[in-house]
Amino acid sequence: MDRRKFISHSLQTTAALALSGPVLAAGQHPEHETALLRGDEPEIIDTNINLFEWPFRTLKYGTSTRSLIEKLRRHRITQAWAGSFEALFSKNIDLVNSRLVEACQKDGKGMLIPFGTVNPSWPDWEEDLRRCHEVHRMVGIRIYPIYQMIDLSDPLFTKLFHAVSERGMILQIVGDLEDARHLHPIVEVRPMSFEPLLALLKERPQARVQLLHWNGRMGQKLLNQLVQETSVSLDISRLESNGAVGRLIEGKPWGGSATPVPVDRILFGSHAPYFPVEAAVLRLFESPLTREQMTAIMHRNAENFLKKS
Amino acid sequence: MQSDIERYEQFALDPTAYGVPDREELVGYRIWDTHYHGFWNYTDPIKQHQEMMQYVRRMGIERILAIDLGGTLQRPLIATPFGDPIKALLEKEKDHLSGIITIDPGYPDQSCEKMTEWIANGPCVGIKYVGGNQLGVTCQHPNNDQIIRYAAELGAVIYIHTWIKTGGDPRHPGGANLKGESTPMDVAVLAKRFPDISLICGHAGGDWELGIRAIRSCENVLLEFSGADPQSGSVDLAVKELGADRIVWGGHGPSRSYATELAKVLDASLSHDDRMKIFGRNYRRLAESIFRKKGWSITV
Repeated sequence: MDRRKFISHSLQTTAALALSGPVLAAGQHPEHETALLRGDEPEIIDTNINLFEWPFRTLKYGTSTRSLIEKLRRHRITQAWAGSFEALFSKNIDLVNSRLVEACQKDGKGMLIPFGTVNPSWPDWEEDLRRCHEVHRMVGIRIYPIYQMIDLSDPLFTKLFHAVSERGMILQIVGDLEDARHLHPIVEVRPMSFEPLLALLKERPQARVQLLHWNGRMGQKLLNQLVQETSVSLDISRLESNGAVGRLIEGKPWGGSATPVPVDRILFGSHAPYFPVEAAVLRLFESPLTREQMTAIMHRNAENFLKKS
Repeated sequence: MQSDIERYEQFALDPTAYGVPDREELVGYRIWDTHYHGFWNYTDPIKQHQEMMQYVRRMGIERILAIDLGGTLQRPLIATPFGDPIKALLEKEKDHLSGIITIDPGYPDQSCEKMTEWIANGPCVGIKYVGGNQLGVTCQHPNNDQIIRYAAELGAVIYIHTWIKTGGDPRHPGGANLKGESTPMDVAVLAKRFPDISLICGHAGGDWELGIRAIRSCENVLLEFSGADPQSGSVDLAVKELGADRIVWGGHGPSRSYATELAKVLDASLSHDDRMKIFGRNYRRLAESIFRKKGWSITV
């Protein structure tokens, strides 16, 4: 698919699924930005960015949505699924989600897809979910369990999981946002395991679940099981080790072996603006991937993931 | 049918279309990976190194400096069965491979003996303080003075693993550090005792915001960023506080990716010349003396 067709196709998909803001049609990128997108290479859908201020540091591209957008576009990212750092500590979740939608509409230049949040630790979270879906017309939500005190083995999470799936929405689950060794000494995040997802996803195999920044909370055995027994998708934001993406696909982690992860389960995610966008982009080039594999990770898998509603 | 070398030296898409350097540009930076863990494998380090070289070549790295030789990270002074084969490899691949040995300030005499074997009479060019040790001796302890003096006499590069673990227990900066694991504050104390000797403060102190503060007054301390998550803005702050002349670059593979480590520098708002300093020139300046002593050519 060429660039023009890709933009057109992905934005049609987006428009059909998430009417939270104006989306640009093909060829409507501002001229100075279009000029940055040289050649006819495939574009990127970034499934893991967050807007607003990181609570512990002023991030280089985190001070304004516009500066982040410009940064993403310099790396050929033409669509980004945006969560909000305000989700971590806020109790007024609806305000967090409303601000996210507003920022995506106002400054997103047609390329931001808001992923609101729901915190089942707070009362009447079901209404927050309803508003995400019915008021904000979101295609999915993103949860941050270690900050939001969500235990995936808790019945409340089970209820949330089913409620999200019944609405046909995507559920993104964030493992970490930063290295535990870097946490501010005043912060004590909760432990979290992805293991309960195994049973839930087997019970409801059509549920669309994507794990973000997941590696620090996933042993090889559990990853093998999730790959073999469920259809969970993974982002690449914190895939570490030399050639990590290729080795994940081939089932060849350094010093061992693993179940190969089908390339269609891997989605581009940068964790910008906390991580440099360059890190995720370069991950794709560090591994000797084929054009087909790179295209799948860059955008095709994300498009397909969105379409499965 | 494509050979493995061809497969590893070609990109399926044009990196410049994605705002990142292509291989030609990476080669042009003359990148020295000064934190190479390719031999960090106690089953078959040579095989792992050979596999690693595919990524080294692919990402256009000019030279790698293996940073954990002559022992293990847990027992830096205990020889492994791979010492001789690795020494032979250092000779065979000296056009792109150099070695740094691990030392232990808990045992200064033995550390100096190892330096004689591996640096004075061997192929290696520097020493590394590993992350923690049995006796709990950090780099600021007086034990270190004889090690530092001998390293300076040899012209050896001095690398000190540092971390300030702000997360973990007890909950204060460095509270969760390992026994004997140096902090940038320890490096600063050592640096003030030896103001004419250059030291590398490794891993940017782990918490780079604190690490940069801790060493900024010590002009003889350089900062190295490898082995931690890429955090946007980190190199910008280091350049602002320390200057581009005081930063060196490492890859930390295979446990870290070149993508992660390159991104830290590419994310920063730097001139091409500053990038070249960080990616290799600053380290070459440190290593120039020992390279020349050994009769090896080096162009800074």
